[in-house]
Amino acid sequence: MRYVWLVAWREFCENARTKGFWMGIFLFPIIIVLSGTLPVLLARQGVSTRHYVLMDLDGGFAPSIRAEMNRQRTAELDQELIAFARTAPYSEPFSYHIRKNPSGLSELDLAAWKLARGDQYLDVPGFVPPKARWLEVSLPPGITATNDVPLLETQLKPWLRGELILPPSTATPEPKLFAAVIIPRSYSLTGTNALRYWGENQADTELRDTLQRFLSESLRRREYQALGVDPAVIARVESQRAPLVDLNPRKATGTEKVDIADRLRQWAPSFFVYLLWISIFVVSQMLLNSVIEEKSNRIIEVLLSSVTPGELMLGKLAGVALTGGVMLGTWISTLIALVAIQVGLVASRISSGALSASSPMATLPSDVLSLFQSTGLLPGFLAYFILGYILYATLFLTIGSLCNTLKDAQNLMGPMMLVLMVPLFLLPFIPRDPNGPIATFLSWIPLYTPFVMMNRITASPPLFDVIGTGLLLVVFDLAVLWACGRIFRTAILRTGQPPRIIELFRWMQGRGN
Amino acid sequence: MKLLARFGPSASSADIDPPRSADTLATMAPPALELNQVSKYYGDFCAVQDLSLSVPHGCIYGFLGPNGAGKTTTLRMILDILRPTSGSIQVLGSPSALQVRHRVGYLPEEKGLYKKMKAWAVIAYFATLKGLSKTAARHRAHELLERYGLKDFANARTEALSKGMGQKVQVLASIAHDPELVILDEPFSGLDPVNQEVLEEIVRDLRARGRTVLFSTHVMQHAERLCDRLIIIAQGRRLFDGSVGEARRTIPHRVRIETSDDPSRLAALPSVASLHSDGADRWQIQLREGSDPHEILRACFELPIRLRSFDAAEPSLHEVFVQLVGPGAREAAFR
Repeated sequence: MRYVWLVAWREFCENARTKGFWMGIFLFPIIIVLSGTLPVLLARQGVSTRHYVLMDLDGGFAPSIRAEMNRQRTAELDQELIAFARTAPYSEPFSYHIRKNPSGLSELDLAAWKLARGDQYLDVPGFVPPKARWLEVSLPPGITATNDVPLLETQLKPWLRGELILPPSTATPEPKLFAAVIIPRSYSLTGTNALRYWGENQADTELRDTLQRFLSESLRRREYQALGVDPAVIARVESQRAPLVDLNPRKATGTEKVDIADRLRQWAPSFFVYLLWISIFVVSQMLLNSVIEEKSNRIIEVLLSSVTPGELMLGKLAGVALTGGVMLGTWISTLIALVAIQVGLVASRISSGALSASSPMATLPSDVLSLFQSTGLLPGFLAYFILGYILYATLFLTIGSLCNTLKDAQNLMGPMMLVLMVPLFLLPFIPRDPNGPIATFLSWIPLYTPFVMMNRITASPPLFDVIGTGLLLVVFDLAVLWACGRIFRTAILRTGQPPRIIELFRWMQGRGN
Repeated sequence: MKLLARFGPSASSADIDPPRSADTLATMAPPALELNQVSKYYGDFCAVQDLSLSVPHGCIYGFLGPNGAGKTTTLRMILDILRPTSGSIQVLGSPSALQVRHRVGYLPEEKGLYKKMKAWAVIAYFATLKGLSKTAARHRAHELLERYGLKDFANARTEALSKGMGQKVQVLASIAHDPELVILDEPFSGLDPVNQEVLEEIVRDLRARGRTVLFSTHVMQHAERLCDRLIIIAQGRRLFDGSVGEARRTIPHRVRIETSDDPSRLAALPSVASLHSDGADRWQIQLREGSDPHEILRACFELPIRLRSFDAAEPSLHEVFVQLVGPGAREAAFR
């Protein structure tokens, strides 16, 4: 064991000295935080305004479309202002309203604020209104409104293709015409004339969908009116939704209602599966590189004169596991520490009256913390990391021992990567039916057991599945260690082309060296 | 514990062990290394066949052979990196070198180091794998680097060292734990003449301290200068085993002369086995066993044959080697 430890410790020290290790430790949490906040930030500030022209040949729809677009824009600004008020509760001019209602600025408060300030209600210190996503512009210069649709479209095409640029505005220096919408004459639900939506970008369908939805509603309303039904009644009836409450029979009597903590419990394992996948992949890659370095630098022979191939293999596995363990430990401790800090902050805000104890924001951090403490997430993660690591790291180590260069290894890694990708593809589906036939079946395939069982861990899988798949995984790990140990012993000294499959079987039978 | 004491902070190489003579040890102790009818097959290919050898304690033993003769395979079997197909190996009295790993040092033919490690750390790491404590290994690494002129590079990463320096670090790593048996596979390859001399000094120093050195080479000059005994193998088989002097005596004594006269009359002398041209005005005369080269010199004066040069030196190891393995090795090289 002394030699295993010596090899392991060197491996750990060497990995811990690399920039990649420290970048992995610090970058991963940063990436996780950024992946949550960056899209929101970009959606608010980074989106460019899309310009479009609207031609309504009959003129019956354009005013209501414009009113609808304005309404949507106002609603968006209001939501942003409410969100801003929540993040800056003590800033003027909201402090009065927040004192009255600690959980945030209500719709009523906002209405009062608007009434007081009129059009200037957005002039709040520190508040930056998000850019308008859609902006209707008048017809480009040189094009006059006409009923000749083909002529109009021919004239618009160079603008839509970006060959001609709209006159610059203060918001956009060189605006491009994103879309042109032509509502034909006699436009109706049953008519033959379709709404003509022109646009080069067919992936961004937001404007097209909004217009189609709004026009469909307008046309339906007209139909109702023609049939003598009051549109207000229709609007009221359509706005109603059948009441529904989520209940979970596994919860204690009286508390069966599914809350945010339950949702967390259902989806948290996915996060850990992702973490498991990343850590196993990163750590196994380290191992692969390390073996290839020793093989290509011809260090292996000196090592084998001092330690047995088994000691070398176990030492490398243990050393890199230690590296991965430190990395993972840091990630998870950081996560728990951040959540614990958040719990403290929330408690102080509740006691100061800045936050209502019943608000979801108040209970979320403590829900996450209790999830870590009360469920088997962390012990399960540790167990499946160790068992999954032994499995995949041994396979990666063996691949490394078969190759002399990283290029050789990349060829052999192809099939391995395909196998490793499967758990990632399954990530969203397992929590939806964690004890269903697909999840159960995949749990019994040892290559996927760590990922699938980790994903099922908070869904109370049958004890038979937990113990059975665990035992199978342990046996499979031992078999892989045994077989790969035999291959490793022969392959590690071999140079030249990677061996054929038949040779691997011979080596497994101890007919290598 | 013995090794720890030996390489404790106050220890120096001089007080490690008193010098012992090879002859004394050879008669006193069982051989440091013994191979008995060892064969190694890779499928149908025979790399080593029925090889037997015995390396006495405290000597420098040369392991000679052309490329592909089976030297590296044999050394790997000695170190228990490879298992022989048949036969037995005893290393310092043990059937496996790994059981006595702390008493054996090894420098492989293909040399390499961990690129990102510091020179002292590499030496210390390999020394710990051979049984030294971390403190003793670190102390020993610095001591060796200082003694062999690499003190200033102790903290340099090995990727920053020149090839020669890197190789020196490897040699030091192989002897850092002061092994009783040191196995060096082609230790001189890639070294410049100055560093080759340094390495020869290291090898002689090891012998002076009673250690046993087995080294493989196909550069005969090193073997000639260093070896007490040597073995020559080709195509996995032993061709010769003995001292350098005995090796020289395996081929007939010869005399080289340079003359513009016709020396063919010398062929009639009873001591001359054969005479053939060695180039323009140069001739080589093979003598019969027990003949005295002076007879040829005397005959040249009597006949007379005017000599520009006369060389009656003993055959070199190079000549012995070429004579013994030449035809087969040439065939193997071009196969």
